[in-house]
Amino acid sequence: MSLGRQLFFLLGLAFLPAIGQAIYFRNATTQEPPMDSALVSVAQAEGWGEKALWVDARPDEQFAAGHVSGALQLNEDRWDELLHPMLGAWSPEKKVVVYCSRLTCHASHEVAERLRKEAGLTNVYVLDGGWEEWQKQHK
Amino acid sequence: MKTLVAYVIAGLVGALAGSAQAGLTWESTDADLHPTLSDTTAVAHFKYTNTGDKPIKIMTVHPSCGCTTAALAKDTVAPKESGEITATFKIGDRSGVQKKTIAVVTDDQPDKPTMLHLTATIPQLLKIAPSFVYWSATDKLDPKTITVDVGGDFPVTKLEVTSTDKSISTTVEPVADKKEFKVILKPTESGRPINAALKIQPDFPKDQPKTFYANVRIDSRAKMPQ
Amino acid sequence: MAEAAQITTEATAARAWPKVVRRILAFVAGAIFVYAGVIKVFDPLRFASDITNYQILPWAVAVRLAFFLPWLELWCGLALIFYRLFRGAVVLMVAMMLVFIGASIIAKLRGIDVSCGCFGSASSNLSFTSHLVLDFSLLAVLLIFWFWRSPAIR
Repeated sequence: MSLGRQLFFLLGLAFLPAIGQAIYFRNATTQEPPMDSALVSVAQAEGWGEKALWVDARPDEQFAAGHVSGALQLNEDRWDELLHPMLGAWSPEKKVVVYCSRLTCHASHEVAERLRKEAGLTNVYVLDGGWEEWQKQHK
Repeated sequence: MKTLVAYVIAGLVGALAGSAQAGLTWESTDADLHPTLSDTTAVAHFKYTNTGDKPIKIMTVHPSCGCTTAALAKDTVAPKESGEITATFKIGDRSGVQKKTIAVVTDDQPDKPTMLHLTATIPQLLKIAPSFVYWSATDKLDPKTITVDVGGDFPVTKLEVTSTDKSISTTVEPVADKKEFKVILKPTESGRPINAALKIQPDFPKDQPKTFYANVRIDSRAKMPQ
Repeated sequence: MAEAAQITTEATAARAWPKVVRRILAFVAGAIFVYAGVIKVFDPLRFASDITNYQILPWAVAVRLAFFLPWLELWCGLALIFYRLFRGAVVLMVAMMLVFIGASIIAKLRGIDVSCGCFGSASSNLSFTSHLVLDFSLLAVLLIFWFWRSPAIR
């Protein structure tokens, strides 16, 4: 068998069960949070000026220790309580910039996802590099 | 060529064997938690035993996110000694399946943290979609609907909905044959900005009533339909 | 089947030793791929979330990849073990190894702490270095197969 046909055969052999799984798990393909939720760099977000609505997704004690000036707090510990004031500050032309701490922390992605899915907001971004990156650029 | 092959085999065997000889043996590195509606935290116990012949020091226990804290009873584990790491997941206003990891670093393999996985399935009593309703400057003030789904087998038969602003009238309509309610919001006033919270209270659980929220905003320029 | 027969008859005493080594290496490398494939085939969603951990691909892509890649690893691994579709499997495996190694290095450089996910939950016990050693050893074996091929093998 030629190399091309071998490749075709192997790829096809993997493709068939993959389709089966894609059908079986079809809900997960759309329901699970897309973790890439539109990343934005610190420079880009600051370029938006007044249009940016900064949202701090970190726990209360970290917010108290320091945050982006003018940022509103919205974390999943006290979601119901914090969502109302945050939405009060929102308007359709605003771009929401959610940040948390460290690259590995998913809090900002989770908050951004809930804002999009549950509150139906568009223009929700996650700050690339989070709080640490913002601090680095404001020394 | 033979030497090269020998190196490769040695590399493979080394890499595989290296992963097998951990000093701490874990009863399980996965914890599956199912908290109830009234729980505010979910706690996982990760039990370990030192199966080696030297004492092992647990250097750091590092949870992946702010909502998880991990406590360690004792940081040095003597040979044959057992212990546990307690991970507490703060539920807050979270729902659904939450996955967190905890990295444990020990002094026998400082570059090889053991990853503990915690999965908490948090029951959702009500699912409110959307949780935010907005009439923009160009919108007509026609009624809008919020759908409230009852999760799981929870016996919710009635919803009490109140608005913090009187100018929004609310009507609750149960959906026949479905564990679902429609909340219809009708603005009764225009010309001023409105920022209201909707309190949604189900009739279950009776002993520990829980309030859910939705948010409503109206731009002052939105007009009543003719 | 005819191919197998041909290999046996063509194997002279001088070539018998490298052939045995080849078969052993092919078996070991194949078995590692089969193991890696099987462990992930049963939990594609977990694998998908491991992929998104690398913060290179969005969920929608990751989840589709997670349905496909484990099966590809599995079939390629079996191909090596049974010595069938050999060259095709080697090419695909080299491509996969390059992607895996690239992704882990990019993630490491960006400071992302990833348990690589290659072996499902068993990955937790593999450090970054031993994971790379394993990756490069596998890549080396595959390249040996590619460049040091016996004419009888198709």
